Amino acid sequence: MKRVKVLIAILGLDQHEVGAVAVARILRDAGMEVIYAGRFNLPTGVVKTAIDEDVDVIGISCHSWEYLYYADELMELLRKEQAEVPVVVGGSVVTPGDARELKEKGIAAAFGPASRPEEMVQSIRELAAARAAT
Amino acid sequence: MSTGTSDQDALQTESRIPIQPLYRPADVAGKEYEAVLGDPGAFPFTRGARPAGTRRGWIHRELSGEGDPRRSNEQFKYLLGLGQMGLDVIGDTATMGLLDPDHPFARHAVGTQGVSICCLDDFRELYREIPLDRVSLSHSLPAIFTVAGLYALALERGVSPANMRGSVIQSPFFCEDCGYAVHMPFALRLRLAADAIEFSAREMPKFHTFLEDTYYISENGIDAVEEMALGFIEVRGLIRELLARGLDIDSFGPRIAILVNCRMDFFEEVAKIRATRRLFARMMRDEFGAKDPRSWAVNISVHTSGLSLTAQQPVNNIVRGAVQALAMACAGVQALEVSTFDEAFRTPSPEAHIVGLRTQQVVELESRVTQVADPMGGSYYVESLTDEIESRISEMIGRIEGMGDMAKLADSGFFRRMFDEATERHSRALIDGTLPKVGVNVHAVADEEDTLLREVAERKFEPSRERIEWMAAYRAGRDARAVEQALRGLYEAALDTSQSLMPAVIAGTRAGATNGEMAGVLRMAYGRPADPFGVLSDPIAVTASA
Repeated sequence: MKRVKVLIAILGLDQHEVGAVAVARILRDAGMEVIYAGRFNLPTGVVKTAIDEDVDVIGISCHSWEYLYYADELMELLRKEQAEVPVVVGGSVVTPGDARELKEKGIAAAFGPASRPEEMVQSIRELAAARAAT
Repeated sequence: MSTGTSDQDALQTESRIPIQPLYRPADVAGKEYEAVLGDPGAFPFTRGARPAGTRRGWIHRELSGEGDPRRSNEQFKYLLGLGQMGLDVIGDTATMGLLDPDHPFARHAVGTQGVSICCLDDFRELYREIPLDRVSLSHSLPAIFTVAGLYALALERGVSPANMRGSVIQSPFFCEDCGYAVHMPFALRLRLAADAIEFSAREMPKFHTFLEDTYYISENGIDAVEEMALGFIEVRGLIRELLARGLDIDSFGPRIAILVNCRMDFFEEVAKIRATRRLFARMMRDEFGAKDPRSWAVNISVHTSGLSLTAQQPVNNIVRGAVQALAMACAGVQALEVSTFDEAFRTPSPEAHIVGLRTQQVVELESRVTQVADPMGGSYYVESLTDEIESRISEMIGRIEGMGDMAKLADSGFFRRMFDEATERHSRALIDGTLPKVGVNVHAVADEEDTLLREVAERKFEPSRERIEWMAAYRAGRDARAVEQALRGLYEAALDTSQSLMPAVIAGTRAGATNGEMAGVLRMAYGRPADPFGVLSDPIAVTASA
C-alpha cells in the first residue's frame, strides 16, 4: 500500500510554527510522508507543490486569521488546476464557527485546538483513501 | 490518561530539573551570604537589581498595537486611562519582517497581530498626544528603524532624545529561526543591532536599545534553562561586537535589559530571574571588566507565556496570568505584561486588556507581596533551585560557545534544530500528559460546554486593508528625489562596513523612505534580493559592481 503523502504549509506572513512542526511529527509518527513547506507560502506555491509532488492531502496550519481569506483563493486555484487534492486546516485559532464556514468553502476537514492527534491522523487517512479510490 | 502528578513519577521542574519532595538546610549549606546573594541592589544582585525600599512594585503594562497607528494610539490612551504605567507596543507580522503593508504577502495580515508601522508618519500618529519624555515606551519593533523614528520624532516635537525612556528589542541571532524573520544575513543583523545600540548609548542614554528578547524564542517551547542560555549567548555576542568597535563596556552596560518569558512553574521562574541577575552581574564585572555598578545590575521585564495559555476554557488563562504575575512580583522584576485570556485567538481585546491590568493591580496592591524585597530569599528550595538553574545555564552557554563561531552556528541551522526539537518535545509533553494542562489533557470539557468567555475571546476583526491604499497615496506624495537620494546614501553606507548605518537610516526616515524600502536596500548591499519573496521591484537600481 502506498504511503500517505501530506503537504504541510503555513500561508502568508503567519510565523507561528509550533503547530505545524508538531502536526508534521504526529503524521510522520503515524507512518505518513510529510513534505514540510514551512512558513511564507501563498496559495499558488502550495498548489504547485501539491501537484508536483502528487500529495494526497494538503494541510494548512494557522495561528493567524490570514487562512480565512486564503482559503477561498486556495480552493479556487485547485479547481482551476483540476487538482483533486483535499485540503485540511488546523490551528488554535480555528473556532467551531470557522470550521463550519471552511467546510462550506470546500475544505475537507478543520481541526481546532481541541482536536486529538488520532482524530487528525484518522481523518487524513480517510481523505487519502477516498482520493486513491477515485 | 496520566496527569503527570502520580506519586510514582520522579519529581521535576517544567525544565526537567530533578527535584526533591523536601529541601532542608543541608541543601544550601556552605553558601556565603555576601558572595552568592548579597542584599538587593548589591553585587551579585541575586536578590534584586535595586536596594530594598527604593522602588517597590513594577511598571504595569499590557501588550498593545493593533490596526493602523491611529487605532493603536487610541488603545494607548485607553490603557493609560486604566492605570497603565508605560506603553508596550508590538508590530504586526509584516512590520516585524520589514515588509511594508502594501507588500502582496501582507494583504491579509495588516494590523491583525500588532500595529502596522513603516515610516516616520506612522510614528507621528502612533504617539500623537503622548508625552515622549514622560511615558516609558517599550517596543517589540525592528530596533534600528524604531530608534530612528523615535529620535526624529523627538526632535520634531522639541523633546530631547536624551530624556526618552523605554526600550526596543534586539533579536539578531535567532530572529530568522523564530517568529521575527527579516531575511537578512547574520552579519547585517548583528551590525544593525550594534549600530543602534552604539548610537543610543550616546544620544538616548536613558533608553534601553539593548533589550535582549528571550520571550519570543521561548514560544517555540524551549525551557527556562535553554531560554536564558540562548539569551546570554546573544547578549555576549552583542557585547563582544561592541567591545571590538572600541566601546567602553560601561558606556552601554547600564542600559542592557532582558525581556524574559514566564511559564507556569512558579518557583522555577522565580529562581530563573534570580539566577539571571547573578550570572549577569558576574559576567559583566568579572568577564567583561565593567566598573560601573549600574552595568552589573540588569533590568528585567517580563511577558507571561502565551504558549502556557489555552484556547480551551479561556477563563482559565486569567488564573494562569495571576499565578505568573505573582511569581514575577516575588522575583522582583522591573516591568510586566500579562498575556491575556484571548491570547490563543488574537491580540488583546479591550476586555482582555482590563483583566490583564487589573490582575497586575490586584497582585501588587492587595496581596502586599512587594512590601518586602526578595521574599523568597533564603528558602531552601528557591536558593537550591537558583543555584541549579544558574549552573545549568552556565554549562549550556559554555557548551554552545565551545562549538565555534555563533554566526556559522546560526547559519548551519543549529539553533533552528534546537527550537524544532523543543517544539516537538513540548507537543509530546502535552499529548502524553507529562505537562499537565487543565482543559487540554486533564479536566477537559466537551466543546459545546466550553462557553465561558469564548465569545469575547473568539471575536475577530478585519485586516487594516485601508493601509494598502494609504501607502499608495503616501508613496505618491513624497519628494521622490529626496527618497531616492536617501536610499542611495543608505546603500553606499551599507557597502562600507566601517560606517554606522544609523545616520543613513535617520536620513532615510526623515526623507520619507519606508522601513521596507530601507531594509530592501540593505539586503541588496549584502547580496540578497531586496524583496525576500521576489515579488516587488528593487527600491533603487544599482549596477552590478561588486
